[in-house]
Order: sequence, then C-alpha cells, then structure tokens
Amino acid sequence: MLQVVINSVVYASEIAIIAIGVSLCYSILRFTNFAHIQLAIVGGYLAYTFASIPGLPLPVAVLLSAIATGLIAVLVDVIVFSRIRNISPEGKMIVSWGVALFIRSMVAAIYGGSAKVFDVPTEVVVMQGAVFTTLDVTVVAVTLVLMVALHAFLYRTRVGSALRALASNYDLAVTRGIPGDRLIRLMWFLSGALAAVGGSLIAMQTRLQPSLDLIILLPVFAAVTIGGISNVFGAVIGAIVLSFAQNLLVWIDFGMIFTGKPWHIPTQFRDYIAVLALLIVLLMKSSRSTGGKK
Amino acid sequence: MIDFAIYLVTVAAIWSVLAISLNLQFGMTGLVNFGQILPFGIGAYAAGIGASLGYPWWVGAIAAIVFAPLCSLAVVFPTRRLSQDYWALITLAAAEIFRLTMLNTPSVAGGADGVMVPRFGSSTTALVVSLALLAVSFLVAERISRSPFGRMLRVLREDEVLASTLGRNPMRYQASVSMVAWIMGAAAGIAYGHFSGYVAPTSFTVTETFIIWTAVILGGPGRNIGVICGAIIIQVLGVSSRFVAQWVDLPSDLVANLRLALFGLLLVVMFIYRPQGLVPERREVRNAARD
Repeated sequence: MLQVVINSVVYASEIAIIAIGVSLCYSILRFTNFAHIQLAIVGGYLAYTFASIPGLPLPVAVLLSAIATGLIAVLVDVIVFSRIRNISPEGKMIVSWGVALFIRSMVAAIYGGSAKVFDVPTEVVVMQGAVFTTLDVTVVAVTLVLMVALHAFLYRTRVGSALRALASNYDLAVTRGIPGDRLIRLMWFLSGALAAVGGSLIAMQTRLQPSLDLIILLPVFAAVTIGGISNVFGAVIGAIVLSFAQNLLVWIDFGMIFTGKPWHIPTQFRDYIAVLALLIVLLMKSSRSTGGKK
Repeated sequence: MIDFAIYLVTVAAIWSVLAISLNLQFGMTGLVNFGQILPFGIGAYAAGIGASLGYPWWVGAIAAIVFAPLCSLAVVFPTRRLSQDYWALITLAAAEIFRLTMLNTPSVAGGADGVMVPRFGSSTTALVVSLALLAVSFLVAERISRSPFGRMLRVLREDEVLASTLGRNPMRYQASVSMVAWIMGAAAGIAYGHFSGYVAPTSFTVTETFIIWTAVILGGPGRNIGVICGAIIIQVLGVSSRFVAQWVDLPSDLVANLRLALFGLLLVVMFIYRPQGLVPERREVRNAARD
C-alpha cells in the first residue's frame, strides 16, 4: 500500500507541474493550449543538450532549459498567439495544434527519433517494503518547492495579484491600469519554464524521445479537466486524483475479488483510467450545467 | 509514371473524403474534432480484422459502417451542453485510446506489427473505388450543405443559443451530422486499408489528424470544393517531399519531419492571415418568405 502512495505521489508530481501551465494559460487567455505538451518536450531536450554538450551539472542544465523554454513560450506568443487574441477559443485551440505540430517536427528533425537517456546518478531506497529511488525524491521535492513558490508568487506579491486580476476579469483589470500584455508575457514565461522542468523530470525518469508527447498528452489533459480547467491549482488536485486512481486500480488484484485467480489491470492500460476519469468528469459537468454553454 | 499518377490520385481522393468529413463537422457545424483519424482507423482496422478472421471484404466494411456512427454518438453524448474545448478533448482521447488498444492488444490486430489486408485487385480498381467514394461523399456533403438542415448547421456553428431559440435541439443536429461524417471517415478507412494492404497503429496518431486539419484550414472551412483542394495540395506536398529527399540526398526521416513542420506552419499562417482559406465559403443570402 505504501508503494502505491509513493508511486502515486511521484507520478502526480510529474503530471501536475506540466498541467499547471495549461491551467495558467487557460485562466488568462481562455483557450486550451495543446502546444504546451511540446514545450515540456523542448524543455527536456534542452536540458539534455545543456547537460551533455557543455557538460553542465544537471540542476544547472534544467534551470537553463527552464529559462530558455520560457523564452521560447514568450516568442511563440509574440509570433503567433498575440496576433489572434480576438478570435474564437476554438480557433486558438486549432492554432495551438499547428504550433504543436511545428515544434514537434522541428524537435524530431534536430534531435532525430532515437531515444536519449539522461545520465542521472540515482540510488534505490528500500523503506518498509516500499521501493523508490533518490530521483523520485528529487522529483517530488522539486515539484513541491515550485508549487509552493508559485502559490506564494500568485497570492503574496503585487504582480501575482495582478495576474489573478487578469484571470478573473481581463477587461476590468486592464482598465484599472494593469499592463495586460506584459503580464501575459510573464504568464507564458512561467508556464514554459514549469513545462520545461516537468518535461526534464519525466525524461529523466523514462527516456527522451519525440514520441514522449503522446505518453504525457492524455494524463496531463485529464488532470487539467478533472481539477477544473480555469483553476490554476485545480490542475494539481486533478493530477493527484488521477494518479491515485491509476495506481490504485493497477494495484488492486481484481482477479482475486471476482474469479479467485490473481489478475491485475496491465500497466499499459493506465491511460484508459485517465480517459475513464475524464469521461466521468465530463458527464458530471454535462448534467450539472443546464442549457447554454458552460 | 502513370502508376505514380494513379497512386497520387488515389491517395488524394481518400484524404479528400476525410477532409470533407471533417468539414461537415468543423466547417459547417463548428464541431472541433481532434480525433478525426478515429473513424478512419475504425474503417481500416475493420477491413484488416475482418480479413484476418477470413471473412469476405464486405463483412468488415459493414462492421465499420455500423460501428463508426455508434462511436460518434458515444463521443457526442458526454459532451452535450459543454463547450468545444471538451469536445476537442474527448475526441482526441477517443482516438488515442483506439490507437493504444490496437497497440496493446496483439491478439486483436497484431499490436505494433499491424495486420495485413487483401489489396485491391489492381491499382486501377483502387483508383476507381476511391474516386467513386469521393464523388459520393462530395455529393452527400453538398446536398447537406444546400439543404435546410445544412443551413441550420451553420446557424448552430455561429450561435448555438440562436438555434435553440428557433426550437431546434443543437445536440440532435450535432449527433446526426457526426454520424454522417464518421460513416464517410470509416468508408475512407476501408478504402485505405484495401489500398495500402497493411494497417498498423502508427498510421493513426494525433499527427495524422492534424494533417487532415491542415488540409481543411488551408482549403477553406465550410466549402467542400475548398477542402478537396486543401487535401490535394497537402498530399502533393507530402508525396513530392520524398522526391526532394532523394534529389538533395537528405535522410528521409528528416525530410518527413520538415514536411510535418511545414504543415504546422501552414496551419498557423493560414489562420493568422487568411482564416477563410484558399477557397472561401460563399456568403448566402436567403429570403425566408420565398423559401
């Protein structure tokens, strides 16, 4: 059981840190940014590049990658999204896929399709029958620190309050003298940087390849939807709920309960649980909202 | 050379059917389907699985044509009364789940190795079948587009609340148009399966969906002729990039990636500078009293 908790917390951390950027973007610009996943992949590759070519220590490489990816996110906004502020949310969503397709193909063209593996020094820790690695601890710690920092930034600083003002009523906030455009850039930088950290962490845990985006796509968007897309920290809750649901359902021995023979849900079916959770949430939302658009 | 021309026209015809199908959903009704590859995959896999079980081709075809619209209903139902963000998510998830199922259950359709499908007797047969399919889809889509039903779909696209105040149930319109569109997609998939002779999960990724989207946005959402032009341009670009690869002696996967990057770029540029597409939708003026 302890093992389930540990696995869930580690997986939730990886997903939450990426999902939070999607919520951040939605809360201010009101569209679902599908290109966000690609920013995570870019972040992973940049961290790999910084760590392998100049041979920087891994934390420095991840930090540099976060800054660079944040700037890339700002650049994407300047080139693409700032020109289409006034079109429908559907249109923005479609454009974000165009951006995603472009970034994904460029990453694949530059780095090639073969998998890259981070050289992470890690040790296995056994505690009361549960197994985890020091890397797992780092992943959770980094995520926790970043979440607390983000929360403090949004709720304890003037700039953070300004961002929240933009999220709650953009026009009113701008009329009251909040520099909307500059803060949108800041939001892009933050979400890009967080995505880069998340992408690097996931890449360290698994392997780095262009098709990694398909692996994190469903869990991230399921987490965002479960938590409520416009609520920034809802994404964290969504990630935790999703991760526990997945790990519990994979852990429970359904065979013993129903047929008497041991049988587990195979782990590659974890994404089904994500989609199932997504469906349940949508059905709940759908029956709650009566008429009109929600 | 003539073989190559036949190949190109066949591929372009199949992808045009997919583009028309997406156009019915997005261009006409405003449904953002990010899993357009799903009905296509259902068609192709039905052909493959039917053949591997030893049935004649029409069994797989009928199975696909029955199953695809049912899937579309399963996708429409949970997102009723929700905004397009959720429709996009659920279609995306459905298509990915289908791909993952095919990938992770080797007993059904060979897993990552895919499954063989009996090919069309000759490349001319494939050409004739694909063109016939395109003609039928085009006529159906045009018929819908010009009918009162099609006009109501456009009302729905522009303003769902307005459609409701006219006493129409948006959900029923969305459900019926998706069923028609998904049958088209499945039919294109069946033709593709028999044309390529081989079906594997890699042909049905999110990327393929966005190639169809690029065709629709490039051609002109809402206009059937436009999206056919879009699909043809995309396929010609796709096929010609292989020649470019041989010609300039670059590795083929690099060129394939650059081609996809170009598609992404086209999608974004079209949306920013010419959202109405190459062949824009015509504005329709109708006199309600005379109709």
